[in-house]
Amino acid sequence: MNMLTVQDLRKSFGSFEAVKGVNFSVEKGESYGLLGPNGAGKSTTINMITGLFPPNSGEIKIKDIDVIKNPKQAQKWIGVVPQEIALYQSMSARENLKFWGRMYDLSGSELEKSVDRVLEIIGLTERAKDKVSTFSGGMKRRVNIGAAILHKPELLIMDEPTVGIDPQSRNHILETVKHLNGEGMTIIYTSHYMEEVEYLCERIGIVDHGQLIASGTLSELRETIGDHSKIILSIDKESSNLEGLAQSLTGLFSEKDIQIQEQQVMVFHKEPQLILTDFIQSVAKTGTKITSVNIVEPNLESVFLHLTGRNLRD
Amino acid sequence: MRFLWLAVKDLTLVARDKKAFLTLIMMPLLLIAILGSAFGNMMKEDEVVSIKKFTLGVVNLDQGQLSKVLTEEVFSKNLSKQIAVKYYQEEELYKKIQDHKLEIGIVIDKDFTQSIMSGQGTKIQLITVPDTVIKATIVQNVIEQFSWSVPIEAVVSQMSQPVQAGNQGGIDMEGYGEKPLINETTIDAKTKPVSSFQYYAAAMGVMFLLMTVVQGVSTMVLEKEQEVFNRLLLTNLTYSNYLLGKMLGLITICLTQAFIIILGTSLLFGVGWGASVSGIIVMTLAFVINASGLGVLAGSFMKTEKSFGVAGMFATQIMAALGGSMVPLYVFPDWVVFITKFLPNGLALQTYLDLMSGAVISKILPAIAASVGFGLFFFALGLIRLSMERRGKYA
Repeated sequence: MNMLTVQDLRKSFGSFEAVKGVNFSVEKGESYGLLGPNGAGKSTTINMITGLFPPNSGEIKIKDIDVIKNPKQAQKWIGVVPQEIALYQSMSARENLKFWGRMYDLSGSELEKSVDRVLEIIGLTERAKDKVSTFSGGMKRRVNIGAAILHKPELLIMDEPTVGIDPQSRNHILETVKHLNGEGMTIIYTSHYMEEVEYLCERIGIVDHGQLIASGTLSELRETIGDHSKIILSIDKESSNLEGLAQSLTGLFSEKDIQIQEQQVMVFHKEPQLILTDFIQSVAKTGTKITSVNIVEPNLESVFLHLTGRNLRD
Repeated sequence: MRFLWLAVKDLTLVARDKKAFLTLIMMPLLLIAILGSAFGNMMKEDEVVSIKKFTLGVVNLDQGQLSKVLTEEVFSKNLSKQIAVKYYQEEELYKKIQDHKLEIGIVIDKDFTQSIMSGQGTKIQLITVPDTVIKATIVQNVIEQFSWSVPIEAVVSQMSQPVQAGNQGGIDMEGYGEKPLINETTIDAKTKPVSSFQYYAAAMGVMFLLMTVVQGVSTMVLEKEQEVFNRLLLTNLTYSNYLLGKMLGLITICLTQAFIIILGTSLLFGVGWGASVSGIIVMTLAFVINASGLGVLAGSFMKTEKSFGVAGMFATQIMAALGGSMVPLYVFPDWVVFITKFLPNGLALQTYLDLMSGAVISKILPAIAASVGFGLFFFALGLIRLSMERRGKYA
């Protein structure tokens, strides 16, 4: 059963076309990642899905409810974690959660229980009475998530929820999202951190210039680049012979699979173990001193590079 | 219920904001103290009777020379240090005095010159507000002296001239001293004059309420600037619920502030705000609706809380100056006073002054209706502007 269906979604701001016919669907209980650089159209897509503003054309359905026609009805099923910290700084974590719970029509013991449950999930029970303004960036982000899950939404939409926080808080947030997804909550997670999306999401959509340029599981996406791994040899700059290296390697590999830099030589291959010895020997023959060897499995970064011709964080 | 919780949240935030607390509560109290020391002494000096120069309103219906002599020579020239003469139409003069914009006036009858010359006594109507006995006495004495001296001078002048046959200039001195010279009327005895202390208590109170509204609207702009507003709209809260909650919070804060100002000035300095408590409450409510509507309209043009704060501060000062919070409305011409009624604070101040003069709630209903009407009109314009901005931004 589809929790979310997005069909031919389009949105323009004046003459700028921000979203150009996006299509995708998310099944109930699934975790779906939207990956793309800043300005790719992720947040605009999310804002339309949440019913914050309508698209120019297209269709959005949450549990068969038309979001464009009945945004308030659809919003009952969703929780949204905005990119910014949308909280009241001079109120405590508990007060903030209680306020946001009331906005979702929770009251009495149901509200209290819900607030306690969420405080435990986000790991802030001990700091519940402290003002949000006294929290670290990571803790604020956790309360930001907490405010979106008080009413137990079936679909949780998270727009870059880990921007600008320390690794420890990031890990906590990722674990929280995993936990929620494990409990059956459907997740849509946007980020420009590939490792987060790789870790959390069963399926991933890559957005660039307002278009969904690829969508699928991680292994399906890897297939789009032929599932090539990368062997990286770090070399000593003083002893390197770049011309000799190029000549030596061209005989062994196709030119498009070789990258030679001042301190690194890289070769892309589907089965790196088979060519590793030959590769090292060819480099060593030129008199170049090898300082380390590293094999990198194909990842989202290489997929993104392959699909767009640029790095995700360019 | 959601809008109620939104209002409660806003009140909690204001209570915790030390800066807001100082502006809303401490500043008006401080102002009361300053007003007390500044105007308290002035009021005492008034009691010692030092008559300052005052304005005499004149309606001259007479076509003869003597009324001109009385107004232009006697009042305007000879008594120029004590009296300033201003000419009005009869209806206008009565209205000015009724509105306490003028304390004293005279209406010179159309047969004034002829009456004096024929020895029938003067026909002057002296109109005053209550409690202006001294000024009234001065004007009365001047008129009486003039009325007596003119026939005498005329007689002396006649006696020094050779008698001509058929002289038409004869003055009948019989009856002088028996007929009443001046008919004095005290009008609008039900209204009370507003002292300078009362005026400034109301004027400053209105200014601070205006500042509170600006501060309240600036939090809306801040929520709009941050993601909080969008997040609220993603909950079960509707747009109209949001505005209702915000207005409710603002009205509660303003009523609390008005209560402190009114209670503070009346308890500490004996300022009378009139007998109509309901009038004060309803007018304050109407004023907040009016000012909030204007604030929402202004806020819809502002993108950041910072820019709204700066613009709001300037606008408050300008509106306070134009609305009579800095310079008394009495010094402005009538058309300016009328125009200031289109400002929320100008209309509120004039209505508070009416209440202080003894007006009851039924008398200020037109002002209340106008205030609420303006507020809703501004509010509607603000909503249209916001929705246009939203469409322009996202469409």
